Amino acid sequence: MSCVEIREQLPEFAVGVLPEPERVAVERHLQWCAGCRKEASDLGAAVATFAYTLEPAPVPRGLGDRIVSRIRQAAGAPGTSRRTRASAALAIAAMVTVAALGWGSAMAGRADRFADQAAAAEARREDAFQRFARMLRDWVPIAQLPPDETHMGQLAPTAGHLGGGAVLQLVSPTTLDFTIVIVNGLAKDPAQMPYRVTLQNAAGDTLRVGRISGLDSAGGADVFRQFEDQDLTGYTTALVTNASGEVVLSGTVDQSAGP
Amino acid sequence: MSSRHNGPLVAREEQKLVEGLLAGNEDAVRALYARFARPIFTLGFRLLGSPEAAEELTQDVFLTAWRKAARFDASRGRLSTWLMTIAHNLAVDRLRRETGVTRPRLVLVDELPEAPSADEEEPLMERDAAIRALESLSDAERRLLARAYFGGLTAREIAEADGIPLGTIKTRLRTALIKVRRANQDKERP
Repeated sequence: MSCVEIREQLPEFAVGVLPEPERVAVERHLQWCAGCRKEASDLGAAVATFAYTLEPAPVPRGLGDRIVSRIRQAAGAPGTSRRTRASAALAIAAMVTVAALGWGSAMAGRADRFADQAAAAEARREDAFQRFARMLRDWVPIAQLPPDETHMGQLAPTAGHLGGGAVLQLVSPTTLDFTIVIVNGLAKDPAQMPYRVTLQNAAGDTLRVGRISGLDSAGGADVFRQFEDQDLTGYTTALVTNASGEVVLSGTVDQSAGP
Repeated sequence: MSSRHNGPLVAREEQKLVEGLLAGNEDAVRALYARFARPIFTLGFRLLGSPEAAEELTQDVFLTAWRKAARFDASRGRLSTWLMTIAHNLAVDRLRRETGVTRPRLVLVDELPEAPSADEEEPLMERDAAIRALESLSDAERRLLARAYFGGLTAREIAEADGIPLGTIKTRLRTALIKVRRANQDKERP
């Protein structure tokens, strides 16, 4: 959409009633258009003014203490418990293991030589993506994962290397962002390990997702990381490097679309 | 960390508070809470319809603000705007997920914003300023904004209900917001 069309939508966007397809289009546009972003910011300020005019409701006693406690816990303050996060992480890790069972067969198509086999492999891969997304939505206990906050990408081998994989990210305004990386067919050469999985943004900033110190019989592994203080917006490049620092798998997550 | 409880914060103070929030600094969290918990809770109560939901929303707003604190830039917008936008978005998201529809179905508050009562113990300066800003609007403009913001009605739904062209509603909505924005800018000029 053009800036003119976007600006026509901005009042409803600012008020929070722009229907889903248009809202997503506006959000995408605002990611790169500074002029429209300024306009959206100004209209948003006006809307916030409106919210302030409400007759104040009595705030429950102790709410401040509960909020302080939650933020201190989230920030990892000494003496706080991370049970909630750990539970979420464990549930997701278990789910990834289950998902990987189907993933192994899907990725086995990488060696297929014939077009029909490649097409079948692609179909299985797509099926795996869909299953992956469904399982995430069904199992992640912290919240339902809205499709527009769940993004996927494929990892392809660089020249001279083997394997493949997939990346799934949750980039959400309401829950902790996370990344799941599933690889398969990596070389089991001990000299190559450990593999490291990272994310990069356009500015070259790098986030560590995890390391792979062991592979299953199919050269596969799963890496999961939930980011407690990091917004994953813009971290769309996923890289798997070997012990020598060579990139063996790379791919791009399409954060502009859901799975 | 300390900050004045009354009076608007300057950008530098807002940035410092948010940096404290990011670090999990208790004083910073309490300072933010003292200033913003009530309007956030109030908005949640009006939109979600229960004190329990409003409390949960208020907690989520502060937690989300902590998560996104690194992205806050006081030179690009007010802290109050940022927090209230988070609050409204979270409330809308919650309603959207609970109802399974692609647009919010907000609890309809069929009333216009009221003037503050004279005996309110701690009148919020933000609220006073907001009410003054809304004085720049006609009743029809205030009602239009209320139907969208509190009622969750899209421009198309308002247009169909009133038998008015969609473009006219969009224009009126935009005009109303620009009037409020100008009133805010006039207020901030020395």
